[in-house]
Amino acid sequence: MESVIINALQQGLIFAFMALGVLLTFRLLGFPDLTVEGTFPLGAAVTARAIVEGVEPLLAVLLGALAGGAAGAVTGIIHTRLKVNNILAGILTASAIYTVMLRTMGRPNTPLLAYDNVYGQILGWFKLAENNYNVILVLLVFAVATRLLLGWFLNTDLGLAVRATGSNERMISALGVNTDNAKLLALVIGNFLVGLSGAMACQAQGFADIGMGIGVLVAAIASVIAGETIFGGNRLGRLLTSVILGSIMYRGLLALGLRLGLPAEDFKMMTAILVLLVLCLPSLELRKRLGGVIPGLRKDKKTMHPALPARPGFASPTADQTCGATPSRREMEE
Amino acid sequence: MIKLSGIEKYFFAGTPNQVLALDNINLQIQRGDFLTVIGSNGAGKSTLLKAVAGVISVDAGSIKIDGLDVTAHPEYMRARDIGRIDQDPMASTAADLSIEENLAIAYLRGQKRGLARAVTSQRTGYFRDTLRNIGLGLEDRLKVPVGTLSGGQRQALALVMATIARPKLLLLDEHTAALDPKAARQVMEITERLVQQYKLTTLMITHNMEQALRFGNRLIMMHRGRVILDISAEEKGKLTVAALVDRFTSTSGTVFDDDRALLA
Ligand SMILES: Nc1ncnc2c1ncn2[C@@H]1O[C@H](COP(=O)(O)OP(=O)(O)OP(=O)(O)O)[C@@H](O)[C@H]1O
Ligand SMILES: [Mg+2]
Repeated sequence: MESVIINALQQGLIFAFMALGVLLTFRLLGFPDLTVEGTFPLGAAVTARAIVEGVEPLLAVLLGALAGGAAGAVTGIIHTRLKVNNILAGILTASAIYTVMLRTMGRPNTPLLAYDNVYGQILGWFKLAENNYNVILVLLVFAVATRLLLGWFLNTDLGLAVRATGSNERMISALGVNTDNAKLLALVIGNFLVGLSGAMACQAQGFADIGMGIGVLVAAIASVIAGETIFGGNRLGRLLTSVILGSIMYRGLLALGLRLGLPAEDFKMMTAILVLLVLCLPSLELRKRLGGVIPGLRKDKKTMHPALPARPGFASPTADQTCGATPSRREMEE
Repeated sequence: MIKLSGIEKYFFAGTPNQVLALDNINLQIQRGDFLTVIGSNGAGKSTLLKAVAGVISVDAGSIKIDGLDVTAHPEYMRARDIGRIDQDPMASTAADLSIEENLAIAYLRGQKRGLARAVTSQRTGYFRDTLRNIGLGLEDRLKVPVGTLSGGQRQALALVMATIARPKLLLLDEHTAALDPKAARQVMEITERLVQQYKLTTLMITHNMEQALRFGNRLIMMHRGRVILDISAEEKGKLTVAALVDRFTSTSGTVFDDDRALLA
């Protein structure tokens, strides 16, 4: 059981960065950004290459995250300047990233166990041993810092403009915001976080692999939904924290499943079905059900969106209740 | 002062469905003017407002605000000068954000947005005073998501948002049409109060002829993309709804084809 908890915390916190990035683009901006499937391994690949080149781990991780941000910028430019549909823009970038990764690493996989990693480096500053608990400690500090920074940003004038772009593009444009720039900015920040997630992952697992991004998006969406549904509240800060908790919970469930002997090859299917179920259940129904199972979950607890299924990017705002796990209509019409 | 010269706007240009939505519109609006705009369905009223706001581009003519030619400016570049409210209560406020966040966004209308905290106690104090002014009790609900407000409350908030940064021009496109009569009356009262208080230059489209006669100091009537009547304050004071319909019929040569207008 201890190993399950350690695993949940380590993996959960590593993927929490990605979940926060996905929250920003998919949920707050309403932009179904498929770049992230490429950004995650890109962050790892760039970090791995830097480490091999002798760059200090912390700097290498930063480079990985910056590469992620750059990928977000590419998608943003393709969408806003070249007017390509948002989903296609993400797919194009994610596809091109494969070449970038192969060129960066020179091969599909880079082992890193022989090199110092970022956890050891940071723990070394404080003369702490590099064990599971201390690695979790480092991750926790990173996650809390990210959560605070993101919370701060989203409450600034600029951050509010980004959120308003996701909520009501017509309005914010009438108030003088160039919504193209707002989208671009959110994509850069979101993908920076996803790149950071990939970088921290390769440092923890001791290798980078071009295939490590497969399925991470669905997992991140599952974390966001689980977190918001169970821990979320009215306030933005609460939402950000809930997503981190959701990520830990999701990874905990996976670890538990593995421990109980569930076949690992079925996990992606189970995750997909789980996400689908949650999307197709009107929020109140789900809450009622969960309310019976989980004590303390109030049935009338409100999410940020008055109607939960109306998540931009997860389901069409107008066609709530339907299983419209497609981008919102507004986005498709662009 | 706002000056429109020779504005033309085509939809589906060059196809058999071509529509000339704005046909050589020439209009000068003086500072402090409150124009009401009426006209039959499809007359081009909304198109005119959108062209002024920069939501759509025009095919000919120029739009000047205080001498500055803004014809080529996209909407976000004109935002500093123009506040606009739509008929749809969903359109002018952000449902996911709280009242104070919506106001904080509107407070910086047309200005650069940086990394300063958006909702400061100084600003909320000002927001509270401004909201108290409209008398709906919204000042006590600053943290409530706007999506939970009624249509009338949202339009009232939209009015505050449109005027909080004192735009040079306020554009209202049937902003009370989607509300029930009581809420519509309330929102109209607030509109009148704010326009007078801030001396706002205003262009208000309405389907309600009585409203068009009661409010403002000038009335224009549109038909098939053109301004066919331009009535000054003195003349407007003497007009009745029936007389106005007669004027329409004699000028346009058609019967006023908007049932909603007469019912009200
Ligand atoms: N986006 C558009 N695409 C094509 N045609 C349009 C568009 N917007 C308006 N039109 C056409 O332009 C003409 C003027 O429309 P507009 O919406 O300005 O009328 P209106 O005076 O506001 O009418 P109403 O009183 O019904 O609101 C109509 O013939 C309309 O069909
Ligand atoms: Mg109209």
